[in-house]
Amino acid sequence: MLGRLARPLVQRCATSITRDAVAARHISTTMLPEDVELLRKMCWDFAENELKPIAGQIDKEHKYPLEQVHMMGELGLMGMVAPEELGGAGMSYLAYAVAMEEISRGCATAGVILSVNNSLYLGPLLANGNQEQLEKWVSPFLDGQHVGCFCLSEPGNGSDAGAASTTAKHTGDGHYELNGAKAWITNGYESEAAVVFATTDKSLKHKGISAFVVPKPHEGISLGKKEDKLGIKGSSTCVVNFDNCMIDEANLLGKAGDGFKIAMRTLDAGRIGVAGQALGIAQASLECAVAYSQQRKAFGKPISTMQTIQSKLADMECKIWGARLINWHAANLKDNGHPFSKEAAMAKLVASEAATYCAHQAIQVLGGMGYVSDMPAERHYRDARITEIYEGTSEIQRLVIAGNLLKEMVQ
Amino acid sequence: MSGLRVLVGCKRVIDYAVKIRVRPDGLGVVTDGVKHSMNPFDENAIEEAVRLKQKKVVKEIVVASCGPAQSQETIRTALAMGADRGIHVELPAGTEADLQPLAVAKIFAKLVEKEKPDMVILGKQAIDDDANQTTQLLAGMLDWPQGTMASVVDVGDGNVTITREIDGGLEDISVSLPAVVSADLRLNEPRYATLPNIMKAKKKKIAKMNPGDLGVDIAPRLKVLNVVDPPVREAGEKVPDVSTLMDKLKEKGHL
Repeated sequence: MLGRLARPLVQRCATSITRDAVAARHISTTMLPEDVELLRKMCWDFAENELKPIAGQIDKEHKYPLEQVHMMGELGLMGMVAPEELGGAGMSYLAYAVAMEEISRGCATAGVILSVNNSLYLGPLLANGNQEQLEKWVSPFLDGQHVGCFCLSEPGNGSDAGAASTTAKHTGDGHYELNGAKAWITNGYESEAAVVFATTDKSLKHKGISAFVVPKPHEGISLGKKEDKLGIKGSSTCVVNFDNCMIDEANLLGKAGDGFKIAMRTLDAGRIGVAGQALGIAQASLECAVAYSQQRKAFGKPISTMQTIQSKLADMECKIWGARLINWHAANLKDNGHPFSKEAAMAKLVASEAATYCAHQAIQVLGGMGYVSDMPAERHYRDARITEIYEGTSEIQRLVIAGNLLKEMVQ
Repeated sequence: MSGLRVLVGCKRVIDYAVKIRVRPDGLGVVTDGVKHSMNPFDENAIEEAVRLKQKKVVKEIVVASCGPAQSQETIRTALAMGADRGIHVELPAGTEADLQPLAVAKIFAKLVEKEKPDMVILGKQAIDDDANQTTQLLAGMLDWPQGTMASVVDVGDGNVTITREIDGGLEDISVSLPAVVSADLRLNEPRYATLPNIMKAKKKKIAKMNPGDLGVDIAPRLKVLNVVDPPVREAGEKVPDVSTLMDKLKEKGHL
């Protein structure tokens, strides 16, 4: 175990062009608390040594990074938001946002696996679980050996989460019977538990939705084929079907009818994680563009000396730092117990658009080289795209932001 | 034998991957705003101490660093790797480049007097000055045996067997405790600090002091006259065969 977590000698001594050009990235330690800065350095090292070297391969092979997920578990990252009493690291959401960025900078697939487990699976359980549920469904899911998933979207509704048509019938003998299908489920194949949102009474619309924790595999659960996605290919995404799936009534999470509220609160926090992931992809794109532009010569000079290239790099840097600071602000608000929905939505919106912008421009800076898989720019481009869609589309984020803004500003 | 106390030294240096820039005044290198990290050989030193503690050979690891306020982060990293407590010998900001191995050895000699460790482990050299002197000077001051460039450290009953990496190959020596050891890169592979350990490190104590408190005069004995970039490497020349290569080497007076 020690060997696997040790930093490979060759990486410690290697001085590739990319490291040389960008290793001096400096974040003022006056902006981050000491423990978060320590965490950031550790995650950066881990991403450089363990994730960056395999990211291209797992993308090509659509391979779940099992070994790396186990390593992240051993480091305490897979359960970092859970409190120490349950076996987690008890870290702040600011620490989580920073970790998400550094991990995703190495590999966006590792990032999404990390964020789904922390925010979408552990999140609702930690906020609503009773003691028995915490011990059964949280503690074993903190060390990377078991991961969870989050089943809200359906083939018929994504943004319209309140229209959930998966049903949960309370049977007379202490069970709920689940019927329906959930779509776009990340970690669908590897997860051993799911937080599932189902309605007990469609006539109550969103107020009829309840949250449940469901073990996997389980009688009555079947998985659709793995989706063939544009990016984050190492993460499995699939439809999860429920056919007369019987679960113990003790698996009801929170109060009956609170499901929609639980889902929305969960997604609020999840947005900070996804913003972190988008920032990691954006940063990786920027670093790729900078390193290449220092080496590539045109008209006798490195292209980094040319105005049109510099203009792009400047815009990338501005968008990244703008998004990063909003994300840190949202995380700080949450950590201090303040409302943070608007800020989290802003962070996710701005960071995801920064990711797609930076990945797009990185390909442009690389020219033809940006279009081939020899360079990571094309993978960043494909990975970035989903961040504008999942955990609330950019359109929904704008509605959340405007809704909160109007409430604040209009008396 | 269970229950040795180890004093480990660590230094905050410019990160090994950073492109070094010479200062405009030619008297040093640019450090402002530049990424700093723990000296890589010091990571090996800390890692070895932590492994010895896990084997229950060592009972307490005290980590010490001489440097500006930011050296506290370096000490905190060592605590997150598993050291028990820290000592920060603080220097005024901007003076760290003037701290030379002789002064560091004197400081550590005073710390040894206070802490009474059974073993001192240092990194074999710092990657900024590449001096490789502190271990040897310290051993001399304490009149302790030394095991430098260690790639294997084996603690026995009252002694340590060390494999040293030297020009001729590997040399095994045995030294009696207390001793000073310096760690080489192949001694071990340093661990990542896990999150629980980062959280635990927050609560570990770091004692602060300055060289004056220890009665040490740290004024530099060597004066830097000039710092310049190494000459730009010129292109080589390709030759078609070995005999042409031999002619060229003779022509240039290399044979």
